[in-house]
Amino acid sequence: MKALDRRTVLRGLLGGAVVSLALPPLEAMMNRSGTAWAGGDAFPKRFGVFFWGNGVLPERWVPAAEGASWAPSPILMPLAALREHLTVVSGTRVATLNTVPHGSGPAGFLSGDNMVSNAFTRPSLDQLIARTVGSETRLRSLETAVQQTTTSLSYADAGQRNPSESDPRALFNRLFGEGFRAPGEMGMADPATGLRRSVLDAVTAQGTSLRSRLGTADQRRLDQHLESVRGIERQLQRLEENPPNLAACSRPMMPPESVPDLLGRPDMATRSRLMSELITMALACDITRVFSHLYSESVNNVLYPDARAGHHQLTHDEPGEQPQVFAILQRIMTDMASFLDGLRRVPEGDGTLLDHTLVLCMSDCSFGRTHSLDDYPILLAGGRSAGLRRGVHLRARGENASKVSFSILQMMGVRAAEFGVGNGRVTDGLGGLTA
Amino acid sequence: MRRLLPIALIALSLGCETAPATPDAGMDAPPAPPPPPFVPAPVTLRRLTQSQYANALHDLFGEAVVVPRALEPDLVREGSRAVGASDTSVSARGTEQYQDAAYAVAEQVLRNPERRAALVSCAPSGPGDMTCAATFARAVGRRVWRRPLTEEEVTRVASLTARAGTTLMDFHRGAEYGLAALLQAPDFLFRAELGVDAMARMGERRYAGYDLAARLSFFLWDSTPDDALLDAAQSGAIDTPTGLEREVDRMLQSPKARRGLRAFVSDWLQLAKLDELSKDATIFPSFSADLGASAREEVLRNAEALTFDRPADFRDFFTSRETFVNRRLAAVYGVQFPVREASATQFERVTLPSSTPRRGFLGSVAFLALEAHPVSTSPTLRGRFVRESLLCNTIPMPPVNVNTAIPAPSPALRTLRERLGAHVAVASCRGCHAFIDPPGLAFEHFDGIGRYRASDNGVTIDASGALDGRPYRDAAEFAAVLHDHWQLPECMVLRAYRHAWGQLESPRQREETQRLQERFIASGYQLRALLREVALGENFRRAAPPALTPDGGTP
Repeated sequence: MKALDRRTVLRGLLGGAVVSLALPPLEAMMNRSGTAWAGGDAFPKRFGVFFWGNGVLPERWVPAAEGASWAPSPILMPLAALREHLTVVSGTRVATLNTVPHGSGPAGFLSGDNMVSNAFTRPSLDQLIARTVGSETRLRSLETAVQQTTTSLSYADAGQRNPSESDPRALFNRLFGEGFRAPGEMGMADPATGLRRSVLDAVTAQGTSLRSRLGTADQRRLDQHLESVRGIERQLQRLEENPPNLAACSRPMMPPESVPDLLGRPDMATRSRLMSELITMALACDITRVFSHLYSESVNNVLYPDARAGHHQLTHDEPGEQPQVFAILQRIMTDMASFLDGLRRVPEGDGTLLDHTLVLCMSDCSFGRTHSLDDYPILLAGGRSAGLRRGVHLRARGENASKVSFSILQMMGVRAAEFGVGNGRVTDGLGGLTA
Repeated sequence: MRRLLPIALIALSLGCETAPATPDAGMDAPPAPPPPPFVPAPVTLRRLTQSQYANALHDLFGEAVVVPRALEPDLVREGSRAVGASDTSVSARGTEQYQDAAYAVAEQVLRNPERRAALVSCAPSGPGDMTCAATFARAVGRRVWRRPLTEEEVTRVASLTARAGTTLMDFHRGAEYGLAALLQAPDFLFRAELGVDAMARMGERRYAGYDLAARLSFFLWDSTPDDALLDAAQSGAIDTPTGLEREVDRMLQSPKARRGLRAFVSDWLQLAKLDELSKDATIFPSFSADLGASAREEVLRNAEALTFDRPADFRDFFTSRETFVNRRLAAVYGVQFPVREASATQFERVTLPSSTPRRGFLGSVAFLALEAHPVSTSPTLRGRFVRESLLCNTIPMPPVNVNTAIPAPSPALRTLRERLGAHVAVASCRGCHAFIDPPGLAFEHFDGIGRYRASDNGVTIDASGALDGRPYRDAAEFAAVLHDHWQLPECMVLRAYRHAWGQLESPRQREETQRLQERFIASGYQLRALLREVALGENFRRAAPPALTPDGGTP
């Protein structure tokens, strides 16, 4: 822990920054809203998306039995140990237009609308939730990927996609680098912080004067940028405050500078483990309460170990039962199970981080070979504090998948009368999904 | 004079359900009615692309300045970053990255005595010298924002600079905050070329002065205007025909024009995807992580040579046996590298052997490896690229709920051509695949990384076919057929238009694209002449006012 000398304090005050000192224990036990953390389920509710591209093999995805007596299907076997924390929702269909293979499914399910110009036309589910639950944290939401890509399924607004971070070291630096303090660590007053905020004020003032001269669509784009600028102002403010005293929060290990390929193939398992640890700690430290995590992107052609072609090519070209596609899905489920199990291993109050995190696990179509959006593969995990009915297989044949999205909004406390437009529009959730 | 059938009409006739997909028009342009008068599209705000951002910082502060590479990704819309730039914003993460980059650059610039001297012309009387801060803000602001600052803006940046100087007890440390503000402002990150009301044309905007300077420099240099261009904007010289011509010719003679060309060619041929090139190293031992970058450099050098060094008919880009290779590419192409001791980044000019059908861009690793699978070729991907990127044909999305599987190799279906043939026998697939696959099959002599092969699965390769009615026996003859295809120059013009305007053309702008095409053809297909024609054209200086919709919703 670093000591503050008198001069630093003085410069800090001059720079307009708040000087942080060790706080008395009482205050350190409180969160920013002043409600106590220690009260078990007063822990914040988190939400996240875990996505993989190229669909599933529906016949080996959907569990045979329904209700509470379900047993994991062949593809879901790697998740068997988490069975009590999972809810499989099968049988729903994405009702919006299926015009963009691999694109229309996520757009319809997460935004409730058709895909236009290869983009969502409305904010995605995670961003709708972030508007409600993301205002207190340093980052309103976090977008990440295992595969090396900047694409994501997170849209702040029509066409405005939030890029993913797929470099573990870069993500570590962003979350736990300069400025981060684990609970109890004393802050160094930095005059730069106050000055940086003044700079952002000037940037906002410039934006405001530019705005009036723009057309409507450009105003929206500029508004999005200025909203992002306010986002960093808030980050600077949060960094000056004392971190919430969450027992499970600690500075994670710094990941290696790069993750080397194995025989020319990406080491997805290692990349997944590193990203999972960082996301988990970002939640445990309450740096964010919303994430959108892309294991692999739509139409990805990742070469997995032992596969004789890229993932997407195999989904179309592999004949018969598609044993290689099956093996790839099992690998993805194994890494997904590790991620969820990592959340379960973090104790929070009388439960775990997984209890306080609702995770929506999904892909871009049901059967990769045909790009079908019937019987859409949906798996919900954790979410005890959100009121998810867990440990069941809910067979909702023919129901609009948007109802699941609407239920998620409700569970996360978002006040909304409807979700989606056109065929994607619903005004109620899916029966039987909440406890 | 030949009239051109708008490409959109041809695309309409192509349904996946309806064969034949090949236009009957063949290689010659069908007659088309004269276009209606040009109607400009509304002005739009364009965000700097990644390359424009880096180029601008290098031009402003010196090549040695290190610009962070982790930046908001470009949006690719309709296959173009230039079009995407008119549609994208800055995400929360991107704003953080611009902030980090701004401070990193400001620090490098203002803590280096030489660079600092070029930016701060006054000697500060103290850490909070407001007069010197205003001088700094005025001079640097004009260069960074590509226009003079208003007095209010000067005061805003200067007081920030002076206050930071006072806090940090160092004027130049304070100036870092002033510069960081200039670099994070939307006035730098976005191109707010909004024009002024045109006197001559009611209800239109006109690009003049600083707006025009920025528009020209981002088009021709992929970067911010230099001082000479800003001075020509200030004096009004740029708004006279001779002054404009002088500036455009000066810009085309500058080495920076090569960057502009590289940006155009990279966007047109989607060369950025080479960064993510991934191949199974067990199948392709000559694959290496830097092969993609080498392949891109080869293509860009060829484009530069044809445009600037030995100006020639740009269609030779597709037929030439001359190319630039480094050691890696020489190994893939099976040619002797002419220099004994050479680093991996050294490129040399070579002539490809006539014994293989490898010709021009479509014989390059950039095309052959990118438009393929990690383990094999893909005639469908290669054919789609030729159709969409080189001929500007429109291909509908594949239908859903159909079996997309290609039959496995069997004694009856040995080669990929035979297996794809079975696929095309399915009616719902035939319409599109009969249009897409044949041009791709012309390249079956080159494997998934671009190495020549004579056979596939033990069977001698048949690369013959016909492109819109003109037959070819192999990729070399295909290149010659493409060279003379009427849609190739038309498509190049459309790509140049999208790059320059940052918008998709609509029928209302066809008069301009048709004019450009006629001039391009008249110049003997010189790309430099096309770029010059775009920049000097009156329509490049016209725009409609910003579009206002009452609900602010998406169209």
